[in-house]
Amino acid sequence: MKKFLFVLLTLSLILMFTACGKKAVKVAPTQEPVEKVEEPVTQVEKPMLSEEEIFQQKTIEDLNKDQIMKKINFDFDKYDVREDMKPILQANADWMLKFPTVNVLVEGHCDERGTIEYNIALGEKRAEAAKNYLASLGVKAANIKIVSYGKSKPLVNGVDEATYFENRRAEFVITKK
Amino acid sequence: MKNKKLILAAFVLSIGILLGGQEEITIRIREGMPMIPVALPDFQVTGMVQPNDEINRMIYETLWKDLEFSRVFKLVPREHYAYISRFNPNAINFKDWASIQANILISGQLEMAADERIIFSFKIYEVNSTRFIFGRNYGGKKDLARMIAHKAADEMMKHFGEKPLFTSKIVYVSETGNDRDIYIMDYDGFRPTRITFSNALDMLPSWSANNEKILYTSYRNLTPELFMFDMYTGKTELLSSGGSNYAADWSPVADQIVFTSSKSGNAEIYRKDMKTGKEKQLTFNPAIDTSPCWSPSGREIAFTSQRNGTPQIYVMDSEGSNIRRITMEGSYHDSASWSPDGMRLAFVSRIENRFDIYIFNLKSNEISKLTENAGRNENPSWSPDGRHLVFSSNRSGRYQLYLVDYDGRNVRRITSGGENKMPKWQRLPR
Repeated sequence: MKKFLFVLLTLSLILMFTACGKKAVKVAPTQEPVEKVEEPVTQVEKPMLSEEEIFQQKTIEDLNKDQIMKKINFDFDKYDVREDMKPILQANADWMLKFPTVNVLVEGHCDERGTIEYNIALGEKRAEAAKNYLASLGVKAANIKIVSYGKSKPLVNGVDEATYFENRRAEFVITKK
Repeated sequence: MKNKKLILAAFVLSIGILLGGQEEITIRIREGMPMIPVALPDFQVTGMVQPNDEINRMIYETLWKDLEFSRVFKLVPREHYAYISRFNPNAINFKDWASIQANILISGQLEMAADERIIFSFKIYEVNSTRFIFGRNYGGKKDLARMIAHKAADEMMKHFGEKPLFTSKIVYVSETGNDRDIYIMDYDGFRPTRITFSNALDMLPSWSANNEKILYTSYRNLTPELFMFDMYTGKTELLSSGGSNYAADWSPVADQIVFTSSKSGNAEIYRKDMKTGKEKQLTFNPAIDTSPCWSPSGREIAFTSQRNGTPQIYVMDSEGSNIRRITMEGSYHDSASWSPDGMRLAFVSRIENRFDIYIFNLKSNEISKLTENAGRNENPSWSPDGRHLVFSSNRSGRYQLYLVDYDGRNVRRITSGGENKMPKWQRLPR
């Protein structure tokens, strides 16, 4: 029985292929061969910049675009700093300690699962928690300002937990260097 | 003798039941008073206007919709007019109108002059007594036709002992593209007018007690500051800055506002005297305190506090003392709005990621749900007569504004396009 099936399958496959082959021959178009255009690539070696050189050369806008200071995320309805976000804040603090002329604005944001009024307060608590943590690591508190946008400026749109997590955040915007 | 006593006791008891019953009935009548049947035959037109002209239809339909919305009047269906003789304003056959169950008959007349100014006149008759009750004439530019119809409907309300409603306005935030500004519009969503033109976020607007000024929050100087816009002078004034300043509410009885500010480092509720400029901090708590709302008497303030772990609605007196918790169940409540009769608080509750609007009766401690599982419903605000509310909802995609009656009936969308939210209905001027 198995053998029979195998033979049937092979036969039908052969049939299919021959059928296709015949059709392909019939409608094969006449086509010019493709000419390959090439240009030699100039190899440029970009010099490695030190952190100081990057800081000196780049504008505030570029530093912010490059996200020199990384954002942190929060738990639903909460404003205390998560354990896994503390290394990010440590790195941000280290960077600010290296460049003590830098001033930052910490923006507190919320996901859409809160009311407008309450979220302004919640976002502010988040920004404040991030500021206090940076200050506890030695950053001058006077160099950190905070603002809350509540749920007015979501980072991503969507209705799943991953989206909400992305939007529950504190961002660090460099305002002076 | 024993029998007599028993009969007396039964008599007293039945009076008690009667009185008790009567009290309940009067409450019911307040809420669900039978609506007055009104007939609104086509207007007579004279001068430069034809019966089919847009202006004639606009006034007629606006007046019809206002009366239909009122929950005070009930319109006799137009199909019934076909069974009786044609309406003749000069010789009214009241028996005809009585036969189709109309109690009140409105006789309207529209006249347009050569300069396109219109005059709308209406007369109100009581059908059963065939009595003329009252009449009014309104004249104005053609583009004020909707306003003229609203004024006529308000006059009807006032004459029947109700509060005017249809000339009231709603202030709200409208977002088209990246712009988010403050607008005002008629209660029915028509005639929107933009009033702020900043490139930054403008939000959470509210009315002054005399409806001449708008309080709102703007990020135009980076942080949320509280501003006041005077609609008569066009001037804008900074009221409060430092930290976040938002959710302002003007006292219905005095020149005082309450608002949320974190100028002290934490979200607290402040009261500001608008004459002296003096500020007083009302809450002192490391938790979030926000969303203050005056009671109509001006003696109490409802607000949201997270002092027991989750945001709940509380009420305090206007000096900040005597704080008591209102919402006992659920884990998330905000945006309290006090009804004009002082009896009810509308607010938003989050249950399993849904926002719905609930009404808490302060007398009976009963809670009723106003919106039912349709997207997120936010920022309820009462109509000046307390029979309706406006709120925002994303039930149809983006946030739009909706009207609903106090009992959850007659949900009606009044905005479209872009995103519209954070509505506040005008109060009756004091």
